[in-house]
Amino acid sequence: MISFLSIGLLALLALSIPVGIVLFVLGLGIDIFFSAFPLDKALGRMVWSSSNSSTLVAIPFFILLGEILVRSGIAKRTYEALDRLVSWLPGGLVHANIATSTMFSATSGSSVATAATVSTVAMPQARDLGYDEKLFSGAIAAGGTLGIMIPPSINLIVYGFLTQSSIPQLFLAGLIPGLLLAFAFLVVTAIICKVKPALGGPSRHFSLAERAKATLDLLPIVILFVVIIGSIYGGIATPTEAASVGVLGALIISFCFGQLSFHAAIEAVKGTIKITAMIMLVILGASFLNFTLASSGLANQLETFLQELGLGPYGLLLTIIAMYIILGMFIETLSLMVVTIPIVVPIIVQLNFDVIWFGILMIVLVEMALITPPVGLNLYVVQGARGKGTISEVMLGALPYVLMMAVMLVLLVLFPDIALWLPNSWAVK
Amino acid sequence: MGRQVIHFISTVNRIVVLLLGGLLAIGITGVIADITLRKLGSSLGGTDELSGYLMALLTAWGMSFALSQHAHIRIEILLDKTAALGRAVLDAIALMALTIVATLITIKSWPVIEKSWLLGSTANTPLETPLWWVQGPWFLGWAWFSVSCWVYFICFVVLCLQKQWDESHKLIAGRQNIEEMEQ
Repeated sequence: MISFLSIGLLALLALSIPVGIVLFVLGLGIDIFFSAFPLDKALGRMVWSSSNSSTLVAIPFFILLGEILVRSGIAKRTYEALDRLVSWLPGGLVHANIATSTMFSATSGSSVATAATVSTVAMPQARDLGYDEKLFSGAIAAGGTLGIMIPPSINLIVYGFLTQSSIPQLFLAGLIPGLLLAFAFLVVTAIICKVKPALGGPSRHFSLAERAKATLDLLPIVILFVVIIGSIYGGIATPTEAASVGVLGALIISFCFGQLSFHAAIEAVKGTIKITAMIMLVILGASFLNFTLASSGLANQLETFLQELGLGPYGLLLTIIAMYIILGMFIETLSLMVVTIPIVVPIIVQLNFDVIWFGILMIVLVEMALITPPVGLNLYVVQGARGKGTISEVMLGALPYVLMMAVMLVLLVLFPDIALWLPNSWAVK
Repeated sequence: MGRQVIHFISTVNRIVVLLLGGLLAIGITGVIADITLRKLGSSLGGTDELSGYLMALLTAWGMSFALSQHAHIRIEILLDKTAALGRAVLDAIALMALTIVATLITIKSWPVIEKSWLLGSTANTPLETPLWWVQGPWFLGWAWFSVSCWVYFICFVVLCLQKQWDESHKLIAGRQNIEEMEQ
C-alpha cells in the first residue's frame, strides 16, 4: 500500500490533475484495492463532517482580514512607516521589505499574499532609488514566507485540523522560530550589504520627527496583531473568534486610515471565497484519504515498514526532511503539506516525536519550498510584480535566505525547545 | 453556445459569491456579538454550530466559483513542457478526473440529506437544527459544482474536436498559465 500511495501520488500529480482530486482518487484506490469494507459509502458523510467545521471557518476569516488590509492600502502605509524605521541599516530598503513581510505575516496568515503585497509596494522604489534588484526581490520572496510561520497562519490551522492537534499551541510554537527567522534575514542582509555594498542600496536616514510619526503609523497594525493573538491566549476567544475580531479590526483600521471602496470590499469577498474553496478541495481530499488510510490499517503496515528500514528515529527524520526538500521543489506548498500529512505524521507519532514540534519543522520546510526553484510560488509572485529581468535573478537573491532557513531547520532538530518552550510554558489547549 | 453556457455559469457564480459574502458578514457579526455577550455574562448560543454550517456552505458553493476563476491547484510542470496535443490530453485527464470525483461526491452526498430528511434528524446541540435545512443547500452546492464540471468538460471536448487548442487550454489552465499565453 505504501508504494501504491507514493507512486500513485507522484504520477497523478504529474498528470496535472487538481491536487484535491488526486487525494480523492488515491482514497478511492485504497478503498478498491486494499480495504475489506466499502469505504466509498462514507464519502458523502466525510465531505459533510469535514467541511462542517467551526475550526476551519477561521480560514476564510483570516483570508478576508488579509484581503481587506491589502485592498485598503494599509499594507502600503505599513511599508512606508517601516522604511523610515529600519532603512538606516546597511542594505537600506531591503530591511523594510523583510520587516513589512514580518508585520504583515502577523495579521494575514498567507505567504503568497504577503509576498504579493510587499512586492507591489516595494518594487517601484527599488528602481527609483537604484537598488540591486536581485537581493531586493529575493528578500521580498523570502520575507513573504514568514506569513505561514508567524501566527496567525492558515497552514498551521490546516495542520492542526488534519492532525487533531491544538491550533493555539501551534500558533505559540511558530512565534519564536518565525521571529528568529525574521531576525536572521535582517542580519544576513546587513552582513551581505556591509561586505558587498553594491548588492544593496543606499542606507536611508530620516529625522526623529519622521521616525516618531512612522511609529505612530504602525500602531494600528500592531494593535490588530495584539488583539488577535491576545484574545486567543487571554482565554477570551478561540482562533476562529479571534479571526472574526481581526476582520472587524481590519475594517475599522481601513475606514480610519485606508481607502476601502465598496468595489474593493466586493473584490476582497471574491478573493476570500475563491481561495477558501481552493484550499478546501485539498483539505477534503486529504480528510478522505486520511480516513481510508486509517480504516485500511496503514498504521500496522507503517510500523512493519519502519522496523524493516532500521534507520532509527533520527535517520528516518532526516529521510523525511530530505523528501520534503526534494518534493518542495516540485509541489506547491499547501498541497505538499496536505498530501504528506496523512502519510508522514503517523510515522512521526510512531517515532515518538512531538506533533506540535513537527508542525513547525514542516512549516520551515514548506517555507523553503516557497522560494526554491523550479516551483517556488513566491519567486513567481515577486517576478510577476517585477515585470522585467529573469526569475533566476530572484532565485539567486533568495539564496542567502534559503541558507538561513536550513540553519533554522538544524537548530529546530537540535533544540526542539525553540518551538516547544512557549507552548509548554503557556498552558493552552 | 458553449461560451454562452460558461458565461451563464460564471454569472450565477458571481451572484452566489455575493450571497456567500452576505453570509460571511452575518457569521462574523454573530461571532463578535457572542464574544461580547459572553463577556457580559450571557451568550447567543450556537454560534459554533452555525459557523460550521457557514463553512460547509462556503465550501460547497465556492467550488464552482473557484473552477470558473481557474483557482483549483494543479502541478503544471509536465503541462508546461508539452506541445498543444499533449497538453490537451493532460487537460482532458485532469478535467475528467475533476468531473467524475465531483459527481461521485454529489451522488454520495444524497444519502446524507435523504437520511436526515427521512429520520427527521436534528443536530445534537441546544439549537437542535433540523439537519436537512443545512444539508439541502450544501448538497445543491455540490450538485451545482458537478453540473459546472460537466459543462466545462463538454465545452472542452468540443473545442478540442474543433482543434482550438489554445481556447480549450484556457478553459481549465491555471491563472498564471493563461496570463503567460496572453502575453
